[in-house]
Amino acid sequence: MAVLANSATHAHTSEQDHEAHLREEHLMLDPRPRGEMNAMVMESMQTTSWKFWVAAGIMAILVAVCLFYYWGYMIANGLGVAGVNRPIYWGIFLVNTVFWIGISHAGTFVSALLRVFKAEFRRPFTRAAELMTTFGLVQAGLSIFMHMGRVWLSYWLAPYPNQRGLWPNFHSPLAWDFLAINTYLLSSTMYLFLPLIPDLAMARDRSTGWRKTLYRILALGFRGTEGEWTHLRFAMNLFAFAILPVMFSVHTIVSWDFAAAMRPGWSSTIFGPYFVIGALQSGLSAVAMVLIVVRATMKNMKYFIRPEHLDGLGKLMLIISMSWAYFFFNDYMVQWYNGDKWTDALLHFHEEGPLGWMWYAMLIFNVAVPWLTLWNKNWRRNPTLLFTVGLLVNIAMWFERYIIVPTSLSINRFPFTYQFYKPGVEIPLTIGTISFFILLYMLASRLIPLVPVWEVQEGQMAHSLRKFGKETVVTVSDLE
Amino acid sequence: MTDKNMLLAVFSDLDPAAHAVEKLRELGLGDEHLNVISGIPITEAMMGRPHQWTNVPRLALGGALGGFLLGAYLAFVTPTTYPLNVGGQPVIPGPPSVVVLFELTMLGMLISTFVGVFLDSRFPSYTPKEYVPEISDGRIAILIECDPAQEVAIESAMTALGAESVKHAEAQTL
Amino acid sequence: MAKHNIPEVKADLENTTGIWGMAIDQDLCTGCQACVAACAMENNIAFVGETDAGYGRSLHWLRIEHAFEGEFPEVQTSGFQPVLCQQCGNAPCEPVCPVFASVHSQAQDLNLQVYNRCVGTRYCANNCPYVARVFNMRDYDRPEPLSNQLNPDVTVRRRGIMEKCTFCIQRIHKVEDQAKSEGREVLDGEMQPACAQACPADAIIFGRLDDPESRVSKLAKTGRGSQLFEDLGTLPRVTYLKEEKDYGRLG
Repeated sequence: MAVLANSATHAHTSEQDHEAHLREEHLMLDPRPRGEMNAMVMESMQTTSWKFWVAAGIMAILVAVCLFYYWGYMIANGLGVAGVNRPIYWGIFLVNTVFWIGISHAGTFVSALLRVFKAEFRRPFTRAAELMTTFGLVQAGLSIFMHMGRVWLSYWLAPYPNQRGLWPNFHSPLAWDFLAINTYLLSSTMYLFLPLIPDLAMARDRSTGWRKTLYRILALGFRGTEGEWTHLRFAMNLFAFAILPVMFSVHTIVSWDFAAAMRPGWSSTIFGPYFVIGALQSGLSAVAMVLIVVRATMKNMKYFIRPEHLDGLGKLMLIISMSWAYFFFNDYMVQWYNGDKWTDALLHFHEEGPLGWMWYAMLIFNVAVPWLTLWNKNWRRNPTLLFTVGLLVNIAMWFERYIIVPTSLSINRFPFTYQFYKPGVEIPLTIGTISFFILLYMLASRLIPLVPVWEVQEGQMAHSLRKFGKETVVTVSDLE
Repeated sequence: MTDKNMLLAVFSDLDPAAHAVEKLRELGLGDEHLNVISGIPITEAMMGRPHQWTNVPRLALGGALGGFLLGAYLAFVTPTTYPLNVGGQPVIPGPPSVVVLFELTMLGMLISTFVGVFLDSRFPSYTPKEYVPEISDGRIAILIECDPAQEVAIESAMTALGAESVKHAEAQTL
Repeated sequence: MAKHNIPEVKADLENTTGIWGMAIDQDLCTGCQACVAACAMENNIAFVGETDAGYGRSLHWLRIEHAFEGEFPEVQTSGFQPVLCQQCGNAPCEPVCPVFASVHSQAQDLNLQVYNRCVGTRYCANNCPYVARVFNMRDYDRPEPLSNQLNPDVTVRRRGIMEKCTFCIQRIHKVEDQAKSEGREVLDGEMQPACAQACPADAIIFGRLDDPESRVSKLAKTGRGSQLFEDLGTLPRVTYLKEEKDYGRLG
């Protein structure tokens, strides 16, 4: 009997431990009063240290020099200062374009797909991810413009009525790209703004000075009446569903830029989904990296972003890494099997050419590293480790695009014209786009509430603990 | 409006606020005289309020149609204004037209949804409005439009139901 | 607007012969590069300098391909193969240009490059299986006295523009206008692009492909004729003539 009684008390305390553990683990079960959460978010937004300004200053200098000066230099002198030549007409600018569009996919994916499927762990970081979409697309757009030979005439790509009666050529994948990327940029910016309105109203209610004026203008006079919420809720729902096909279309069309060309290695029917998965691969890793940095550097963020979120993202990264491996192998297998001599030459060049190390690094960082680390729950929850994996995956995805663009262009059907590609002004311009992204993100993190507080509170309302027999489990109510 | 008073009852919880809406209806105030203001989206059903009308779905549909028509113009009409042969493809290409139609339909729908929120909610409006900043701290406020004669009865009823404060709502610059 | 004779199915394109065409006799070609020089003179092609040319940025519309294999002295060489824009009847470069800078001419059945319209996306060049297109990477200098050499009939291209062989379309127009004013058809051999005119071995023959009696049509139909990458279905208008044997070369 004594043994039994002992075990019963033990069960009792362990149950309490379990509950406490659940609350500590899940943000949704650890509610705080809304006022307190508001104050935390406001504080995190308004707190800057000298380190922040030093970092922002360095980024601003890098943007000024690497992006604006070198771009101006290139516009004035022509693409000769870059590394493109014949036959490698597309170089790192296109690599960067595809890379940044890939980064931009994560925001939509995390925010819209997880919203559609009601994955509750998304709540605190949807905005952080959506910001990446918008700022990533800015870099992608800049990279496309850098790539153009006569950027000052880029408005000719836009469909507008003109005296010549000459409209863009809708036979061209680049014309589809123009429409798709613009649609995506506009809709993702609107999708960023809609859920932001209530938070801007929150910020308006508790700020002074220039911030008050800024938020007053941006909050548009939002009060939170029934009507306003109804319109907003419907719109956000529609956006979540509609932006997903737009997102898929964007990267599919980017892949068609390559797949529609009659080149060995490019003319592949699986490029569409392969690129979409590749985009998510780099994008999700980038979301994880940004969240880890935000969590480590911004005040009060450890409450909102917890190991459970890194855990969830780590799982997604692992699944996407497996999907990427599947699509990569599918593409490789069919290319290898078709036996075309130029494709064969290209595959050998990928693996054994001077950039073979890049091909192997791509596979190791994209497949081996995530598979060997992310299966372990404790490792997924370790910020340093997840950040490292995310960084390696992003490097690998940049390599993948490098292999697809300049490396594949080295090989064509005329061995007489084979060339190598030596990047020139592309290097500072790449640093420039990365710095510009970081700078925009740093400024935005201090200008708009990075955590959608109302969404967190809504989620906390919907979550509760319930007992099934002796087991305490998390229950979620469907509020809508 | 001059003979009506605006009262703002602030509740800290959902349940008393819902009871208050019921009580106000008993006091003879129709749903059109009430408005609930909250810091998180609470559904009309939770508050026992009639379903809110929104034009956003219709606007979205209209925008989708508009976008589709614009896409159709780009895909099917513009190539004929200056027909050019490229690569032996038809002047109006089939599959690429689908891409153009899709992108512009989605663009039209999403822009009109966004604009729809502005139109339906009368955004942006910077005129003074009845509001208290506590609402964005998670309070639920009921904005009551009533006769001055009813004011005292309403005030005591609201306080009895647990209102944190009941006061004359003053329009203030947000 | 010009009437558009675009066949409904691509297979019908194969029945079209094309209008202007070229035959290149590789058995006669000596690899002297006179055609390359003549082309550059005629078409105001810029000289890019040693460094850029070594890096694969030379702007020649016509290149003489010549490959070597093996270690000295056991070197095997291929023949000489002048490669230029094949003026495909079914050109991959055309549909991919987003601004209609690369279009098909109905009157001459040639691929046109509209310099004024080009914004420099370089997609056409990537999609050209013949690597026939070149890009103005910079504004290149034309020091004295080269500046006095420019052909007034041909646009001088600035940086950021794609260009390629035009079959000397300025000469085609001149010949056509001349024939029209005299009320006759263009005679066979009357029109010669700069490369054909300069070829000392008469290895480049130019003429009408739609005239079965023209010299180029007859040559193209001999058993020696073949086209580059016929399997791609691009319908090149250039025919290469070559015997099975290699004359005067090792191997």
